[in-house]
Amino acid sequence: MKIRKRVSKAVLAACCVFGLAVAAQAADLSPLSHSLTTQTPRPAPALKLKSLDGQLLDLTQFKGKVVLINFWATWCPPCRREMPSMERLSQALKGEAFSVLAVDVGEDADTIEAFTSQLDTTLGFPILLDTRSHTMQAWKVAGLPTTFLVDRQGRIVASAIGGREFDHPEIIRAIRELLNK
Amino acid sequence: MRFPIPTLLAVWSAAAFAGTGSSVDAETGLTTWQTESQGIQVRLTQISPDQARSFYQARGFSPAAAERYASECVFMTVVRNIGDTPIQHRLADWRYESAGVPPRAIRSKTEWERIWKQLGAAESARIAFTWAQFPDTQTFASGDWNQGMTSYSVPRGGQFDLRVVWRAGGTIHSEKLEQVKCAHENS
Repeated sequence: MKIRKRVSKAVLAACCVFGLAVAAQAADLSPLSHSLTTQTPRPAPALKLKSLDGQLLDLTQFKGKVVLINFWATWCPPCRREMPSMERLSQALKGEAFSVLAVDVGEDADTIEAFTSQLDTTLGFPILLDTRSHTMQAWKVAGLPTTFLVDRQGRIVASAIGGREFDHPEIIRAIRELLNK
Repeated sequence: MRFPIPTLLAVWSAAAFAGTGSSVDAETGLTTWQTESQGIQVRLTQISPDQARSFYQARGFSPAAAERYASECVFMTVVRNIGDTPIQHRLADWRYESAGVPPRAIRSKTEWERIWKQLGAAESARIAFTWAQFPDTQTFASGDWNQGMTSYSVPRGGQFDLRVVWRAGGTIHSEKLEQVKCAHENS
């Protein structure tokens, strides 16, 4: 009974997100952007969250790497649209000192897995659970999706508000410049 | 949702959006209003009462609480910086005006939070609601854009004008979306 309830909830969530996505499609005709906004480097706020597979991940563990941190939710249409490009970015820079972290706000594992299981691609980067949105508030996120680029020294150096094609050559170039510093 | 043949052939063209205009999506029958001016693009797309009910019940709201929101006139709102200089908006500066009613401010997330707490909505539902609304304030660099819901106390099928206000380069700008129409119950 418990399993059926969890599956039903996840299916309902998926259906309702789809329903809203249909409505939002008219609003989503604008293409995903492909630029990052450079910022004056500042220390990244704390980020220490459990991942979908139960691991506790701390951003400080990633010092020495360039990290793309994406705040999202399954019901957010541009978040859903850009997710495959984040995986392609991750694959394009595989083997380099680069990681992607996707921070989901306010949702449980079942809801997230209902979404990720319908993607054409398997996501290889960690999905972290910001269940009470405390981390989003610490990072001063105002809306979804919002993405930050953190350099090897743990500083925010660029950001993006709204959906992006993350494997666009312009974004890959910006990340490679940081990797080469 | 009914689709008369003429609606299926409704115009959906870039020309409809040069400046200010509206267009009907042939698949959904929902209408989008858009304005572009001084580096900003603002779009409002109708959300039907059924879509609002389903969305918020899936987020954990009770049917009664979801109905409270669905009884408002709801739009998916998109703001995009199409210029070269950063722009900033404050939703509290926007005003909507319908016939016979003085200009009103959009109900804020804080006010909605109070309503949800009164209705006993769970924290997880309230968190989802907060992030699904269009941000209260945000600065958009060139290329940045965001979308979220805005709601208006206008009856279903009713009509209003929306004055959008934003700041760019130290100057306050405004533009009007006229004759924006709320979705009907059976949209």
